[in-house]
Amino acid sequence: MKTIVMLVFSLFAAHYCCYAQNTIVTGQIIDEQNNLPMPGASVKVKGATTGTSTNAEGRFSISAPSNGTLIFSFVGYIAKDVQVNNRSVINETLMAEAGALGDVLIIGYGTQRKKDLTGSITSLTPDSYKDQPVLNASAALQGRVAGLEVTNTSGAPGSEPKIHIRGANSINSSNSPLYVVDGIALFSLLLQDINVNDIQSMEVLKDASATAIYGSRGANGVILITTQKGKQGDIQIDYNGFLRVNHPMNKYKLRSGVDFAREANHIVGSDVFPDPAAFAGKSTDWQDLIFQNGVTQSHQLSISGGTEKSRYYISGYYVDQSGLLINTGQNKYALRANLESKISKKASFYLGLLAGRTNSNNNGDIGGKGNPVTGGLAWAPTEKVYDSLKSYNRNSVSPIWANPYMILKERNNQAFSNSALLNGKLTYKFNNWLSLDVLLGLNVNSTKLAYLNNDWISLGNPGSGQSQRESYTFQNSNILTFHKNFNQKHDLTIVALEEASTNKYTAFNALGSGLSSTSNGYYNLGLNASQSISSSYTNWALLSFMGRVLYSYKDKYLLAATFRADGSSKFQTTSNKWGYFPSVGIGWRLSDEDFVKSGNLFSNLKLRSSFGITGSQAIDPYSSLGLLTPVQYSFGTSTLSQGYMQGSPESPNLKWETTHQFDLGLDMGFWNNRINVTFDYYNKTTKDLLLNTPVAGYNGGGIFLQNIGKVSNKGIELAVEITPVETNDFTWTTTFNAARNRNKVLNLGKDSVLFRNDFVGQGFINTNIQVVKVGESLGTFFLIPWTGIYNSDDPALGYKAGDNRYEDVNGDGQIDFADRIIKGSATPKILMGWNNSFKYKNVELNIFFQAALGNKIFNATYAIIAAPNSDVYYPTLAGSVNYWSSQNTGAAWADPASKTGRNFTESTQYLQDGSYCRLKNLSVSYYLHKKISGVDASLTLSAQNVFTITKYKGFDPEASSTPSGSDASAGIDFGAYPSPKTISVGLHIGF
Amino acid sequence: MRKLILFFFCISVFTLSCKKGFLEEKPKGSVTPQEFYKTGSDLNLASIALYNNLNAAFNQSDGFAPLWGGDDVTVVRSGNKETWSDYDIFQPVSSNQGANYFWNSLYTTIKSCNALLNNYEGATEATEQQRKQAAGQAYFIRAVSYFFLTRVWGPLPLVTDTKVDFNITLSTPEDVYKLIVSDLQMAENLLPNQWDGERRQNGIDVAPTAGSAKAVLANVYLTMAGWPVKQNQYYALSAQKAKEVIDNKATWGYELMPSFASLWNEAGNFNHETIFGAFYNANVPDAWGNNSGNARPNSFQPEEEGGWGDGYGEINFYKKFPPGPRKDATYQTQYYVNNDAANAVDWQHTLNKHPYIQKYRFDAYYNPVTHANDNWIDSRTVYLMRYAEVLLTYAEAESMSGAADATAYDAINQVRQRAGLNNLIPGLSQNAFRDSVIAERAWEFAGVEPGGARWFDLIRTETVAKANLDRDPSEEKINKMPDDAAHTFYWAPYPYQDQQLNPNLHH
Repeated sequence: MKTIVMLVFSLFAAHYCCYAQNTIVTGQIIDEQNNLPMPGASVKVKGATTGTSTNAEGRFSISAPSNGTLIFSFVGYIAKDVQVNNRSVINETLMAEAGALGDVLIIGYGTQRKKDLTGSITSLTPDSYKDQPVLNASAALQGRVAGLEVTNTSGAPGSEPKIHIRGANSINSSNSPLYVVDGIALFSLLLQDINVNDIQSMEVLKDASATAIYGSRGANGVILITTQKGKQGDIQIDYNGFLRVNHPMNKYKLRSGVDFAREANHIVGSDVFPDPAAFAGKSTDWQDLIFQNGVTQSHQLSISGGTEKSRYYISGYYVDQSGLLINTGQNKYALRANLESKISKKASFYLGLLAGRTNSNNNGDIGGKGNPVTGGLAWAPTEKVYDSLKSYNRNSVSPIWANPYMILKERNNQAFSNSALLNGKLTYKFNNWLSLDVLLGLNVNSTKLAYLNNDWISLGNPGSGQSQRESYTFQNSNILTFHKNFNQKHDLTIVALEEASTNKYTAFNALGSGLSSTSNGYYNLGLNASQSISSSYTNWALLSFMGRVLYSYKDKYLLAATFRADGSSKFQTTSNKWGYFPSVGIGWRLSDEDFVKSGNLFSNLKLRSSFGITGSQAIDPYSSLGLLTPVQYSFGTSTLSQGYMQGSPESPNLKWETTHQFDLGLDMGFWNNRINVTFDYYNKTTKDLLLNTPVAGYNGGGIFLQNIGKVSNKGIELAVEITPVETNDFTWTTTFNAARNRNKVLNLGKDSVLFRNDFVGQGFINTNIQVVKVGESLGTFFLIPWTGIYNSDDPALGYKAGDNRYEDVNGDGQIDFADRIIKGSATPKILMGWNNSFKYKNVELNIFFQAALGNKIFNATYAIIAAPNSDVYYPTLAGSVNYWSSQNTGAAWADPASKTGRNFTESTQYLQDGSYCRLKNLSVSYYLHKKISGVDASLTLSAQNVFTITKYKGFDPEASSTPSGSDASAGIDFGAYPSPKTISVGLHIGF
Repeated sequence: MRKLILFFFCISVFTLSCKKGFLEEKPKGSVTPQEFYKTGSDLNLASIALYNNLNAAFNQSDGFAPLWGGDDVTVVRSGNKETWSDYDIFQPVSSNQGANYFWNSLYTTIKSCNALLNNYEGATEATEQQRKQAAGQAYFIRAVSYFFLTRVWGPLPLVTDTKVDFNITLSTPEDVYKLIVSDLQMAENLLPNQWDGERRQNGIDVAPTAGSAKAVLANVYLTMAGWPVKQNQYYALSAQKAKEVIDNKATWGYELMPSFASLWNEAGNFNHETIFGAFYNANVPDAWGNNSGNARPNSFQPEEEGGWGDGYGEINFYKKFPPGPRKDATYQTQYYVNNDAANAVDWQHTLNKHPYIQKYRFDAYYNPVTHANDNWIDSRTVYLMRYAEVLLTYAEAESMSGAADATAYDAINQVRQRAGLNNLIPGLSQNAFRDSVIAERAWEFAGVEPGGARWFDLIRTETVAKANLDRDPSEEKINKMPDDAAHTFYWAPYPYQDQQLNPNLHH
């Protein structure tokens, strides 16, 4: 029958092209990504109306002119023109095109058509952030994926933002997702080490059906990054670049020298400044001195192309970024080469290389109370920058810290970092249903840190030091993939994986003090009179086995089942080393059912649900061994002798922290998919937390690592994509996403509360202001309730009119730390992003808002300049001039000169609303589509962080002094490095 | 051929992870408890940690906050001085960061001592002498730590092992002292009379010797004769131990420095009067650790000279202080406003109108021309026991256990002579002699010198209220006057953080 059809068909074809000689061409079409045959792909002769489609094995047969061209295409794939060139057999591959519904998505250890997904996965391609100049992937992700939280806790160039998927599971361990670049899990490298311009797509895996294949590292979600690959065809050259200027987003309103001096006299009760009026017009604006309007430039050039057998993508990248604080910045260079080639009919290889260099100048966090940001706010406006020519005014009448401008100018802390990501993949196709991938990957970071503390930084005792750190992660994944379609009804894919990963970290430090000359910088450590060296080593290993079954029946009923077993070196007994992580996901494509089709409402409708278990082993190697702590003693001399003291107690029974997650999702498309709505509900419970529990001071303090506690995250996510207007000239697309997460601590073992020690001590914050408490979310504040200012004496508590009024919560007749209460949390409740793109002919306008709502920030930066305290004798905050006196009884601030009053930093007075909505990007682009000799070009003028609607009184509600890896301690702004407002000009040229 | 290469490639990759021990932890750069405490070197490393730990307790004025209850120092009542002022005016709270720092530092030291004492006998690769010396240091330092703790807090969680225990109950001061005495008796026998190597610097033993143990034990006995143990028989034991030190002082090289002032100048950091001290050096590579004095010079420096004024002399105490070279070395006499020597004022004209303590300020970084501190850290040795105290301990204990004989008079007079004072008039009654010794101690250790602190004398002699009643009207008002009969405010409140973890911690 088939041959008869073919014969008839050929005759017809011959009839049409009577003057050209036609031949019968046969062949097979294979999916580039998974090497599986593609049934239903279209094969056409160029310029003719004839065509056919491939059969179940992806095979076709067509009559075509021997000098003609065949067009191979498939929905969601890039179409290919292939010259017949007198051949009778043509085998071709098609590559999935990212972007539209019907995509094939990277799902980890394989690919899957988006319509077959049972898990919750969001894909992001450069198209969605092309109008926003971004320096790293986190900026591209922020606000664009429902349930993904990105917070720029530091505005320092190259700093690591806080990234969470569906809330925070762990109290002590990191809640950052796992990043996998072209199949290689990052460990030695950070997300910002990947050049954002090289990214072809990012897939955010959120639910257990998607993440359980990463087992022990999947609990915080996974972000899969695919880099650009060369395409068959002519050489393609692309240039992408932008230039931008940084400004501070806002500034604190501070006192003039006159006001400052007057109040100092009032506080002390005598003349600290005999003539305050003399400072009129002579104030020093320290904020102006510490911030700069820096320039950042980014350039990227890529060349790609290829033949049928080999393809390449090569790019180079240069970024020079200056920080918002003076004398801070970073520059980066990177080179990427992605090469693919077929060795034989059955074997092919892929090689990806990334090599980068990052030089950071004074980019590290100075930290502490007297960091330059708090210093720049607290330093007396009556002080001068220099005592005399070239000699800094080192100390101030207030605060006790050194001159912030001097610290910034004289600081010399450098980091030189070399990073490399190398991955090789060998693919062998045994036949059209079985293939083997062998992946080898290496990610390496080698960083040299160097500092010179000159006499300004370390008075009377200059010093220098260097350290070398190397982190080296090796990964081998061996993946066997089976795929077969039975009777065009049952589609079955089975993946089996064996994977081994191991990391080695070594560090070497040499430092000294008593430097006899600073003229050699940090290059001659031998000039230090007193020297110290140290080194360290850690190593971990992970061995994994994973199996996955994907099955679909008639493309309507979908099933995904996975099972992973992970063995980790970080746990001690064999039974504790191994963790098992199963998941199952089901989907139902209702839009393929007749009863939905007949309604004509939905162009797409899918219901999906999943349940699975993932794990975390995110503790440092050797954490459970109770290692001894090295200490040193000098016996009163300048030479240190080594000693060892007992460290934290060992915990030999430590095991995996596990997360159970349930997800229910609905994907809807209306109006021919011009409206797409995705809705997800999830419920996660993390148990056996790897928890650092405090040891009592009388037992030597420190921490005891145990599997204790339970944390729950429940939430909903909504993502909407609409194209309200689509005409030839004008298109408006709008995407909106929102996520609400409820984070709650369910159990902490025998304790109901754990105290967080961050920022406690040093005289300013004298007790824990954050706790982890059963029934509350992570990042909960614990503060004395401040209720305003007394207008009359309070004999019961001993306070007088004009003093701060606090609530005596426990009623013991005194205000102290026992009166602290739970008050708000640093964890946002709602995250939102709203992107709008208006395209009129060649002009595109982009407006992108991003918001985080419902979190509180403890503004210690504000507190330390608002009232006299251990460090700042005389406040500088302009508003706090409005203090109580018998003439000013409605004042907002307590009388700073009171001898009866107390000013508890640890009170709700300094807790501020951290909610914000920010115009993240506003841009106008002009596109030249191949107008001039085939050149594609665009010019973009844009502004980032244009304005922020917030009640927060600090520089930047995103900025935080708490480490980005921490959620139990979060939302404390203590001189945090703010992000800038930027204005950029960007250019893209492609030919 | 290609297939063969591929095959071998795959095989080699698979076997990488199948190596035996792939999932075992081998901390090459660190030491596990199991492999430690074996050799003499291990014991040496473990004992070095004890000094590092103990140094933390005394490297800043914060830890001394409870000593502000004495009548020798005071501080202004304002927001940033609450740590010290709360003890000065008797309204201490369980969250006092200074006191809590002292608690944590001393208990960290005790943990290290316990770890060493629980393990040293198993160090079979060490020599007998190495084991003895390591244990001797740990016994001594544990005793010193508990001695400070029980004088500040009274009843204590008496921890002698390294287990984590959230339910431990308080031991009475009697039981705490029992352990202190037995530890010091062990130390007396285990410690050498003289060290060599790094433990002896500039001809001075930085580490404790048998002499240090005897001297501290004499002081412990004297304290046990007073409140709260209050057993008179300890006077005799105290006198006997002190006499042992005095009679054999050449064995350990002890002597009074010729001048009081020379104890406090830079050159005096290593001297023969030191029986035990915490030694610091500002020039160590990691200067802000436990190996240097942190911010101590600034704490006692007047504000007009750039200091923080965390504490200064009480006016009436200053007035009672007998004049002479000791007073001149203890207090600052001239104050340079804005570090300008041309603009010098007396204490009555300082911002806080108080005499400031001078003795902690002479350091390499002290600039005598401007009175400025060029650094927040210093190298000053903090004396935890001086030979002067042994003399005064002997004088008091000898007189209280019998009568003040010539040796008792001689002991106190040695200290008085150096201070430029006349000898005591002979023939004083037992109580009058004792009061003279207590007063002598007050001047000798004025300004919260932690070893002989005035506060500890006041509580053991139950005279806290009595001393604090004589307070100049211009001083900050006392919140609630302690009661010497009921002993209110004699103990500091237990640290809030530990109370939260163990509710047994309350007085």
